[in-house]
Amino acid sequence: MESIARKLSRRSTLKFLGAAGGGLALASWAQGTRSFAEASDGAKPLESFAGPGANPHWNSVGPYVTEPQKAPLILLTDRPVQLETPRHYFHTIFTPNEAFYVRWHLAEIPNSVDLAEWKLRVEGNVNKPMAFSLSDLMQKFKPASVAAVNQCSGNSRSRLQPRVPGGQWGNGAMGNAIWTGVRLRELLDAAGVKSGSAQVQVEGLDTGAGPKGMGSNRFLKSLDLTNAALDGTIVAYLMNGEPLPLLNGFPARLVVPGYFATYWTKSLSWIRVLETPDDNFWMKTAYRIPDTPRGTTTPEDMKTGKVKTIPIERMPVRSFLISPDGSSKIPAGLDVTLRGIAFSGYGKVNKVEISDDGGSTWKAAELGEDRGTYSFRGWQAAWTPKTPGRYSIAVRATDEKGNVQPDEPVWNPGGYLWNKIERQELVAGKAN
Amino acid sequence: MSKRSKIIFTTVVIAMALAGGLVFAQMRSGSYGSTNSTSIGQGATPVFALDAKYDVGPYPSFVPELAEGDGRQEVQSFCFTCHSTRYITMQPPLPGAIWEAEVNKMMKAYGAPIPEATAKKITAYLQEHYAPENRKEY
Repeated sequence: MESIARKLSRRSTLKFLGAAGGGLALASWAQGTRSFAEASDGAKPLESFAGPGANPHWNSVGPYVTEPQKAPLILLTDRPVQLETPRHYFHTIFTPNEAFYVRWHLAEIPNSVDLAEWKLRVEGNVNKPMAFSLSDLMQKFKPASVAAVNQCSGNSRSRLQPRVPGGQWGNGAMGNAIWTGVRLRELLDAAGVKSGSAQVQVEGLDTGAGPKGMGSNRFLKSLDLTNAALDGTIVAYLMNGEPLPLLNGFPARLVVPGYFATYWTKSLSWIRVLETPDDNFWMKTAYRIPDTPRGTTTPEDMKTGKVKTIPIERMPVRSFLISPDGSSKIPAGLDVTLRGIAFSGYGKVNKVEISDDGGSTWKAAELGEDRGTYSFRGWQAAWTPKTPGRYSIAVRATDEKGNVQPDEPVWNPGGYLWNKIERQELVAGKAN
Repeated sequence: MSKRSKIIFTTVVIAMALAGGLVFAQMRSGSYGSTNSTSIGQGATPVFALDAKYDVGPYPSFVPELAEGDGRQEVQSFCFTCHSTRYITMQPPLPGAIWEAEVNKMMKAYGAPIPEATAKKITAYLQEHYAPENRKEY
């Protein structure tokens, strides 16, 4: 059957059909023979890497893979696991757990947790070191919930020019969820923080093959005890009302609303109160940004060795067009609803604007329901491509502190803090 | 319609259906590619016990094909100790100086125990196959 079909699809056969099939216009079909038996344009595989120019795609270019408890996601690396969330999952304000991006640092990540043994320890410079089981966390403390965006510090790293090494994320190293758990301050109070303490350090179940004392052996992050962000920090054992997938930090992870995900330690098992500021690799060397406006610098300035750096903290304001995504052609004259999301680690997003003329004029979008200061905020705007053509839709958000997304890129050696105005090309074809 | 033209018409209709689709001026339909490189298999639902163990099994490996050449063996054995070689294939084409800095970072910042001669070989391999002037699709 297949071989007959193949024979019949040959050009000579088509010519015969064209001649015999009165009333049927077959000339264009014959011309399309080459693509006829091949995959459609939509299924054409993406290149396996992007660069040295900026990655032009919304997501990173890796293949889809399935990992335990996850929907097919875009592979960055398999050991440790780094997976990116495809764009279409951002149609909803809350990102499904199975689609939530994954980023681990050390290769020995947990495959299994035995809750009969597992404890969350609160130790260090405290009056009474504590060890809580998951049922302790669920029963001994009043649950607190917060809607908050978790975004990798290196989200959109593949946009930087010149390119920098690291996880080559597109825009999908982010997600929004309702996190439910215990307030960190309550756990610290239960143990009793001794006066004169400086920071709280967190560590999860992941370990690495590197030598002891090096960044490749343990992943440790710390925040000042006086940091106001700790007031909103929770140890979450529920993500969108369900247990966390192991790849997202089962049985509990730290949630620091407004802050980049580097502090949101997964499979959190140790909370340590430190007397002196943490100078481990992950605080002193990694996850640092230039102490400049927007954290931007240049390769030339970096070479001087004089650029002062500070630990990365809050997420700058960002917004994204989610649909239409440019994967389909739109008939000119058709009313289209542009939809997307916005967020800021500095405060509520209170304005989203769109432009279809290269940023000369901006039109306010309608904002969706307010789900919390550090949640995604949905937005939509009506738009009609009046005539056939290639349109570039730009989206920019403003937060309540007055931070507006700029149109200038960011560059730093870590590939952090990207928040340039996003653009999407949309093609309108003729309607008749 | 004459008997002969009826036969021709029927033949054409059947032939077109076999060819994979009916085509009129206003549409094209029934075109399927011969391969499907984008498919992935579904995973089966696990069977759970009632104990307190939460086990997801092994994480899958997706080992990339590395460029053939001198140094590949060293990359596979040394770099692979701490991470998948996907870390290499995931990178954009990077200039030679950046690759050198990366290998140094792995040794100095992360403590990778790589002998100096091997490190040089690894650096040369990366520069030869993963730089803007020589990076290829695999």
